[in-house]
Amino acid sequence: MQNTGAVQEWSRMDTRGPRQSTARDKLLRYIGSSLRYAVLIFFTLVCITPLFWVIASSLKTTGQIAANPLGFPTEIRWDNYIEAWTVGRFGKYFKNSVIISVPIVTFVILLASLAGYGLARLRFHGSNFVFVLFLLGLMVPFQSIMIPLFYILKDIRFLGTYWAMIVPSIALGMPFSIFFMRAYFSGLPQELGDAAEIDGCNEFGVYWRVMLPLAGPAVSALVVLQFMGAWNAFLLPLIYMQKEEIRPLVLGLMFFRSRYTQNYPLTMAGAAIVMVPIVIVYLVFQRRFVQGLTAGAVK
Amino acid sequence: MTTAAPVRRGQLSPRAKRKAIAGWIFITPAILIYAFFFIQPFFYSIYYSLTDWNGADPVKQFVGLGNYIKLAGDSLLWQALGHNLIWVIIGTVSPIAIGLLLGVLIWTGALGRVLFRTIYFLPVILSEVVIAIIWNWIYHPLFGAVNQILRGIGLDHLARGWLGDPQTALLALLMTAIWAYYGFCFVIIMAGLQNVDISLVEAATIDGANGWQRFIHVIVPQLSHVLTMITAFTLIGGFNVFGIVFVMTQGGPGTATQVIATYTYRKAFQESQVGYGAALSMVMTVLSLVTSYIFIRLRERQEQ
Repeated sequence: MQNTGAVQEWSRMDTRGPRQSTARDKLLRYIGSSLRYAVLIFFTLVCITPLFWVIASSLKTTGQIAANPLGFPTEIRWDNYIEAWTVGRFGKYFKNSVIISVPIVTFVILLASLAGYGLARLRFHGSNFVFVLFLLGLMVPFQSIMIPLFYILKDIRFLGTYWAMIVPSIALGMPFSIFFMRAYFSGLPQELGDAAEIDGCNEFGVYWRVMLPLAGPAVSALVVLQFMGAWNAFLLPLIYMQKEEIRPLVLGLMFFRSRYTQNYPLTMAGAAIVMVPIVIVYLVFQRRFVQGLTAGAVK
Repeated sequence: MTTAAPVRRGQLSPRAKRKAIAGWIFITPAILIYAFFFIQPFFYSIYYSLTDWNGADPVKQFVGLGNYIKLAGDSLLWQALGHNLIWVIIGTVSPIAIGLLLGVLIWTGALGRVLFRTIYFLPVILSEVVIAIIWNWIYHPLFGAVNQILRGIGLDHLARGWLGDPQTALLALLMTAIWAYYGFCFVIIMAGLQNVDISLVEAATIDGANGWQRFIHVIVPQLSHVLTMITAFTLIGGFNVFGIVFVMTQGGPGTATQVIATYTYRKAFQESQVGYGAALSMVMTVLSLVTSYIFIRLRERQEQ
């Protein structure tokens, strides 16, 4: 964002220019600026309108949908949400999603920050090899391991329990998270850790009391990204979490939709229930989302 | 605490030794879980792909490269790969082009950049199932927005069941994927634009370059890092695409939208051809690894 001033200066130069402003220039500038905003607003509508349809349809009756599929609801029907929550069992699925996401996020952060710190700050024999091993994991898609993982989870009796999603998700979260935390810890000043060491902290103390608190921005970016990943995961629960009682929201929504194909208001209410928590997290922690996603890309 | 007496016989000092031990302890939990639930199944995938196991038999019959020979002659696989190829080409070029357009429009001086960014990124955070439901609704033959608009402007003859028609189904899915993804490209490009050297753009303006020339010759080269990165990301995503296709069309009608990931899922988990499914998953693995490798080399070359 440091460049903002310069950008504005440049655009002013570009449009107003040192030359004398003639009527023709003014007109061109006006057209250019209108076109610019027309494009930007067009894509804004492209993003938002479909989401509006979800909310609007979720508040209609089936009859209203048929009569007026795309407009505002003429009479708001909250009952769809109550029905989806209870009859559609979205309440249950919501609870499942929370039970699954919380430990995934917690353990990914804990394990990845420990490992990232170890790799960044505690040079040891073989640390490069270990790091490359994790980096390779960034290039291997989940599909490469999904089949045998099913039978491994079956053998250790995780299938049919929450563990079938929690534990593999932690493992799958390792490569990116370790990469991310290692990069952040490498950028922190070494002197702070040394000072704490002189004050009598052991290695764990340095990590836990000094470095981890300093890595706050990286940790919160990772929390947001991992939460989104866990909440939205689809293929993994589709394979390992088919049992009805343990389904997370996303999977519950998919099965609900195939059972109630014609009941659009209820399906849309279900979609809204899946969507709203993540949208709220996004709006609150926007900056962290963007930081997390752009980290590494721009370096 | 042994602070004095540096023992240097080609050995580590006590402090370095302590750090090395701590390093191993710090990394161990992550390694254990990663080894058991990632590395182990990866090698099992290779092993399964060399058997004709059906997921239930106690014995896994070793068939050598049999599955891979079968792959070469599997017309359904080649059709699916063709769909992935279309997906990768259109699905990479379009969102990056849209992201670039929006990025440059905002960067060169639009008000409300945070607001636009917030909105453009919104579809990126949605679950694939939600996206699929939204777009199934948009493509609905009767009530869907696409057909409503077409009828509204008198193009009734173009209205159709977009997902039920083999001619249009794949493109309809692609539109969905592009919608869900261009915000991601936009945000990354915006971040990259923060590092573009304004003075070069100014210099080009003074030299009389028009907007398009400035864009192609001054801005895009400075974004090459970022563009390489998103291209790699999107290509790999395109080879592995699953959720949107699976929920919206299940690979149909017929096999008109079958991609390699849905085909693999079908073989391994619905038709119990675990060995063959594992061989298919190896095709995806190789595609991802080769793409990553090419882009890592490209990036190295850019850095020189």
